Amino acid sequence: MSARDEILGRLRKQNGEASLPAPWRSRRQFTDLAARFSEALTAVKGEVRRAADLDGALEEVAQILEEIKATRGIVDDDPLLDKIDLAKRWPDVNWFTVGRNEGDLRQFAAAADVGISIAEAALAETGSVVVSSGPGRSRFTSLLPPVHLALVPTSRLTPDIFTWIAGHDRQFPSSLTLISGPSKTADIEQTMAIGVHGPGRFVAILYES
Amino acid sequence: MESPTRVALCTTCIVDQILPEVGVATVKILRRAGCQVDFPSEQTCCGQPFFNSGFRKQAAGLAKRTIEVFENQEVVVLPSGSCTTMIRLEYHELLADEPEWQERAEKLAAKTFELSEYLTHKLDWEPAKKAIAAKPSGEESVSDQETRVVTYHDSCHMKRMLKLGDEPRQLLEATGCSLREMAEADRCCGFGGVFSARMPEVSTAMTAEKLRQAEETTASTIVTADPGCLMQIRGLSSPDGPLPRHLAEILEEMTR
Amino acid sequence: MTSPCSTNMAQFRSRATIAIEDIQVQSALDGATGRFHISHDKALAEMPDSAEMRDHLKAIRSATLARLGEHLENFERAAVAAGSQVHWATDGTEANKIITKLAQERGIDLVAKTKSMATEEIRLNQAFLEAGIEPVETDLGEWIIQLVEEPPYHIIAPAIHKTRGQVAEMFSQVTGQDLPADDIPRLTAVARQLLREKFFAASMGVTGANIGVAETGSIVLVTNEGNAEMVTSLPPIHVVVMGIEKIAPTWDEAAPWLALLARSATGQPLSIYTTVITGPGRVNEHEGPEEVHIVLVDNQRSSYVGTTYEEVLQCIRCGACLNICPVYREAGGHAYGSPYSGPIGAVISPLLFGLKNYEALPQASTLCGACLDVCPVRIDLPRMLLELRADEAEENISPRSLQFIEGAAAYALGGERLLGWSSGALRLLQKPFVKDGQLNLPKRLNPLGKRQPPALAKKPFRQLWEEEEKNWD
Repeated sequence: MSARDEILGRLRKQNGEASLPAPWRSRRQFTDLAARFSEALTAVKGEVRRAADLDGALEEVAQILEEIKATRGIVDDDPLLDKIDLAKRWPDVNWFTVGRNEGDLRQFAAAADVGISIAEAALAETGSVVVSSGPGRSRFTSLLPPVHLALVPTSRLTPDIFTWIAGHDRQFPSSLTLISGPSKTADIEQTMAIGVHGPGRFVAILYES
Repeated sequence: MESPTRVALCTTCIVDQILPEVGVATVKILRRAGCQVDFPSEQTCCGQPFFNSGFRKQAAGLAKRTIEVFENQEVVVLPSGSCTTMIRLEYHELLADEPEWQERAEKLAAKTFELSEYLTHKLDWEPAKKAIAAKPSGEESVSDQETRVVTYHDSCHMKRMLKLGDEPRQLLEATGCSLREMAEADRCCGFGGVFSARMPEVSTAMTAEKLRQAEETTASTIVTADPGCLMQIRGLSSPDGPLPRHLAEILEEMTR
Repeated sequence: MTSPCSTNMAQFRSRATIAIEDIQVQSALDGATGRFHISHDKALAEMPDSAEMRDHLKAIRSATLARLGEHLENFERAAVAAGSQVHWATDGTEANKIITKLAQERGIDLVAKTKSMATEEIRLNQAFLEAGIEPVETDLGEWIIQLVEEPPYHIIAPAIHKTRGQVAEMFSQVTGQDLPADDIPRLTAVARQLLREKFFAASMGVTGANIGVAETGSIVLVTNEGNAEMVTSLPPIHVVVMGIEKIAPTWDEAAPWLALLARSATGQPLSIYTTVITGPGRVNEHEGPEEVHIVLVDNQRSSYVGTTYEEVLQCIRCGACLNICPVYREAGGHAYGSPYSGPIGAVISPLLFGLKNYEALPQASTLCGACLDVCPVRIDLPRMLLELRADEAEENISPRSLQFIEGAAAYALGGERLLGWSSGALRLLQKPFVKDGQLNLPKRLNPLGKRQPPALAKKPFRQLWEEEEKNWD
């Protein structure tokens, strides 16, 4: 008998009555999702910048690029950024746009100073940004560079993981990640250290949309 | 005048054999609270030690004996949270295969109470405070001051299974004690019945932690409502540290 | 050295004594468990409905286990549809064989791992080493204990017992640099650099699974460091080792699970990274492994479904019970001699690895019930410990001496006359050692060490009652 048959056979014999409860909805309510998002993410050492529109958000990006003296940047391709010519706007930065540039994506990302992604959703309660793999989007954008900037249109904010799942079509790409702060560890003497494997700096740029 | 409530005292085996002074104090308080106290002398042990160490046959024998001894009493009161838990909650589990005994156990459970629970919820006892305030100031002896500052150790079964924690504290305060809480009042003292003998190093380390937290409060006395905890804490306490006492003893002293 | 695979009473006591006498270990234990616990309380208090949410998750876990077979089949179907390959293993040996074979067939000699209790349970690293394959742990804490060849000290914080000085020394050895102990950010940076090379060099990534979602065939992984993203994205093959009980039927059940997992573990609302892996990289994607293999490990679990022990399979491995356990907080993780320590370890180690092998663990508890209080799915661990103790008594696993003592004590307590005679005899025996009502046994006669056993009172209560009850008012 195969292991599969053995295990399933044993389990089948023990089948019991079961009814799963209706999906959970939190009683916790947030009147201002953007404010809650900022509060939650800031509490775990993430950074939040607020802007009135996409142009304002790009101003924030510019400031950070300046601040970290970025020379190499990897950016996810997104319809939101269609009209923006990165190379023209920031000529000092060597840009790699996922899906458009030729060349070794992972080597570029590993040596980049900054990765810019566009959130497909954001959870207010936990200050989480949802990014995923797919055409024009790379897992490495949010993972390998020491700084990760996520552009978050406020229209994509949802109260919590329950509302996010309720609105999700359950079609998952090979990788989807909820990022809720900069990479960290407390494995040495319970002392917090930032930037173990992922980015040590995580900035969510929230803009009205 | 109302006829006094008749209460049967289940002393528990530890109090009977090791800490009789706790039993004496319990009788006195119950009498001060207006009860007529009986002591059915056939009682021995509720069976908890055997139940907790896995020896269910032995536990069931003692459980049945306890049921027989007490089932015809009106009310049963114990100066022990964990023995009360045994009768109230565990007999049901222990005698699950014997429905007839289980039913008798349930009837007994319904009229069995832990001491502070009984005083608070059934008797609405309002203890007369020891007349410290009446003494002219300056005449208070040091010992008067010291007995009043106590810290209360929640015994595990009483707190988590019987949900009794406010009751002993209210009584202590009502009799004039001032309470100072430990960082973790409900952290186990390390007794655990046979655990304390089978794993003495860990058990003692747990007691040391309990005493450390008690000392931190600077209270002169660490009060518990469980003879097991009292015995355990006494086994490690030092003369300069807080003195381990049973709730009944403190209540008795404060209401003389 | 790997984790020992038995724990009798003497072993537990001697390992616990090492921890109790080590001031550094004690302060690390106090610090870590205390901090975790305080954060846990705060995180739950923040939610107006945390108690109901725990009940909800319990209902989910319980209903899932009642139809576990069906959910596993659904999971398999969806995982295969997403391009993953699903393997079934009845025990650790089978699982290790499947995994090492996958590696050997592909000529793989370096494996990057995330921290996973399932792989600790089946001792996968040892199997890799025996097959000539180098496994590298990439969770910082797990890497530290891998370097010192020790089992994890805590389910979610494997290296809490190590000081920065010890870590600096180890890292200095590994890197050949002289690393100062007082600079934790520097130590972390060193680990980042070293392990990043491993991520890129490894040709297989191995992870556990916090949740397997049957609806989509997805694996959910949570980390704070981001190493799961690395392990599942860089190497060409990703192997998942998952206990069969870690199934959520749909995302509706996975969501409350996630909402309680990190809150119960560290007090975080969510871990920093919650990664959902659904099959290998797709054609329209730019990266991702070419193969994803999911190894479903039973290792005794299915035999407990439908039994009195089924409830422990609801465990989500948050470690909250360790942080509150007064025994764990003194004895430390290594006393248990199992990757699973603390109250949950005291129950599942004997269940997974044999009660005879782990006879001491059901005894390593005062039954204080603190674990039941904090468990996000309210597993009645004290009840399970009682059941295991009863099994030990019934199966004659308890030592003869204990059986004799318990039998004799129960006999003596069987009637008030018997009790009178036997306690009278004991009173005579103890007489030479009693001073001021206290027992003062010489060291060689005292089985309790520093603590003195109680003395029997001069007169039992029943005698006092007879003699002077009338004066008690």
